[in-house]
Amino acid sequence: MQATTVRAGAAVSAAPASAAGRVNRVRRGDVTTRHRWAFLLPGAVLMGVLGLFPLFQLVWMSLHDVTQATINAPTWAWAGLHNFAAGFTSGNSWPALGRTLVVVLVVTVLGMAAGFAAAVALRTSGRWSGFLLGLMVFVWALPPVVNGSVWKFLLGDDGLVNTVLHGLGVSQPLPFLYDPTWSLFSVAFVGAIAVIPFNALVYRAALLAIEPEVFEAASLDGASRWGEVRHVMIPSVRATTAVLLVLTIVYAFRSFDFIYVMTYGGPGTATNTLPFLGFLQAFAQYDFGLGAATSVLAVILVLVLAVVYARSIRKEEKD
Amino acid sequence: MNLKAGPVAVIVKAFFTALYGVPLLWIVLTSLKKSSDVVGGSLLFRPTTAAYARSFNGDLFTALGQSVTIAVGTTALVLLVGVPAAYGLARTRGWVASLGLGLLVVLQMLPQTAQVIPLFSLLGQWRLLDNVGGVILADAALLAPFATLLLRPFFRSVPSALEEAGAIDGAGVVRTFWSIVLPVARNGVLTIASITFLLAWGEFLYAVRFFLTPSNYPLSALLSQQVSAFGIDWPGLMALAVLTSLPILAVFTATYRLLRDGLTVGAVK
Repeated sequence: MQATTVRAGAAVSAAPASAAGRVNRVRRGDVTTRHRWAFLLPGAVLMGVLGLFPLFQLVWMSLHDVTQATINAPTWAWAGLHNFAAGFTSGNSWPALGRTLVVVLVVTVLGMAAGFAAAVALRTSGRWSGFLLGLMVFVWALPPVVNGSVWKFLLGDDGLVNTVLHGLGVSQPLPFLYDPTWSLFSVAFVGAIAVIPFNALVYRAALLAIEPEVFEAASLDGASRWGEVRHVMIPSVRATTAVLLVLTIVYAFRSFDFIYVMTYGGPGTATNTLPFLGFLQAFAQYDFGLGAATSVLAVILVLVLAVVYARSIRKEEKD
Repeated sequence: MNLKAGPVAVIVKAFFTALYGVPLLWIVLTSLKKSSDVVGGSLLFRPTTAAYARSFNGDLFTALGQSVTIAVGTTALVLLVGVPAAYGLARTRGWVASLGLGLLVVLQMLPQTAQVIPLFSLLGQWRLLDNVGGVILADAALLAPFATLLLRPFFRSVPSALEEAGAIDGAGVVRTFWSIVLPVARNGVLTIASITFLLAWGEFLYAVRFFLTPSNYPLSALLSQQVSAFGIDWPGLMALAVLTSLPILAVFTATYRLLRDGLTVGAVK
C-alpha cells in the first residue's frame, strides 16, 4: 500500500521535474549533450557489428539452406520457412520447447525460493554468515565447466549422492544422468545451484535496506519470526523479486553450460532444450539453416521477456 | 530486525554450507586420489599428487597462456567500450538512451547458442576463426552489454554538480569525465573489470567452436572437452579443475567486497 502511494507521488511530481530538466539542458547548451552521445560510439560499433548484426545474420541463415559445405559460399539457396517447418514436422521443436519450460520452471522456483531463504539466513552479521556468503558467491564465480564437472561426478553411479543414498537404504543407484526424466531434472537442479548465490546476494542487500523501524513496529505487534518474514520481508522486497524473477527466467531459458558438460543433450534427446537443440543441429548435424531456425524461435521468446524486463526497470527508475 | 539466528536459520545455513562446501571439497579431494581410489567416494585414502604431475605438461601451459590472453584481452576491450557507453547512457535522455538501453537488455538476454551460429559464419568470412583475436572480439561482444548495464547506475549516482563545477573551471567533457567522474565511479569500474575477467576465464562455447585446433584451447575449453569424453580420468579432470580455478580464487579474493556490494547496485534501489 505504502509503495503504491510513493509510486503515485513520483508520477505526479515527474512532470514538473522533467520540464525543469529541459530548461536546464537548454541553458547548459547542446555541446555537452552532443559530446556525451559520442561516448556511446565505441560500444555501439562493437555491439552493433558483433552483437546486433549476427542477430540479423541468424534470421537470414534461418531462411536459407546452409550446410557445412555451403557455409562459406557467397550466397545461399533460399528456403523460405522450410527450416522452421522441418523443425516442427521432424518432431524435435515441440518436445524441446516443453523441456525448456520444465528447466525454466525448476530453476526459477528453486532459484527464487532458495535464494530468498538463504538471504534471510544470511542477513545476520557474524562469522558463519560472512563465510557462507563468500563461499556461495565463489561457487557462483567459478567457471561453469568446473561446477558442471563436479556435479557430474557427484551424481554418477559411484558418486557421493548415490553412496549416501545407498547408506540410507536405497538398494539401486539412482540414474541421475542417464534416465531421460532424471537427467532433465539433474541439469535443472545444477542450474539452480549456480543461480542461487546471485539471488541470495541481491535479496540480502534488499533485506538490509529495510528500515529498522518497520521491524520494531512488527515486533510491537507481536510478530513471530515467521510473521516477520511473511508480513515484513516478503512485501518489502517485492520490487527486487520482480527484477530477479525475470533475470532468473532468462538465465534458466538460456542455460546451456551444464547441459553441455553433464549430458550433452542426452540420453537420446532427453536434455535437448531449445537453445541446445539449435546448437546440435548446427554443429553436430551441420545443418546451420535448421539450427538457426530453432535459435530464432528461442530468440523470439527471449524478446518477449526482454520487453517485460525493460518495463520493470523503467518503473524502478521512475520511483 | 531480529538479528539473532534462530534454529531455522541455523539449519538453513548448515544446508547451504554443505550444498556449496562439499562439491568444492570433493574437487580437491578427488584431485589428490589415485584412479583406483575414486569409486565410493571414501574419505580414507593416501593423497598423491600424481594427477597434478600428469597435468603439468606443455599443453597445460599453452592453455593457461590462452586463458590469460583471452581473459585480459576481453576485460580490456569491455572496459574500453563499456565504461564510456555506461557514462553516456547515464547522462543522456530521450530516444537515443532508451533505444540503447533496450538493445543492451536484448543483447544481454540472447542465448549464447543463438549467437554462436551466425558468428561462426561471420568470423569465417572475416578470416578470424582459429584466431585468439576472434575469440576476444566475440567474448567482448558477449559480455559488454551486461557490464555496461551494471556500470550505468554507478555513473548515475555521481552528482551532476561535480561535473558542472568542472565545466565552470573550464574543463572539457572528456577531461571532466576522466579526472572528475571516473575517480568517483572507480568501484563500479573495478567491479565490472573483475566480473568480466571471471566470466571470460570461464567461457568455453566460443572457444570450443571458434578455435579449430584443440591445441589452441584455453583451460575452460580443455576441461569441457575432457569432461564430455568417454572413460573420464576423474583425478586428472579434478586436478585440471583446481588449476583452472586457482586464478579465479585469486581474483575473487582480491575483489570479493567489491563484487558483494557492486553486483547489487543495479538490481536494488
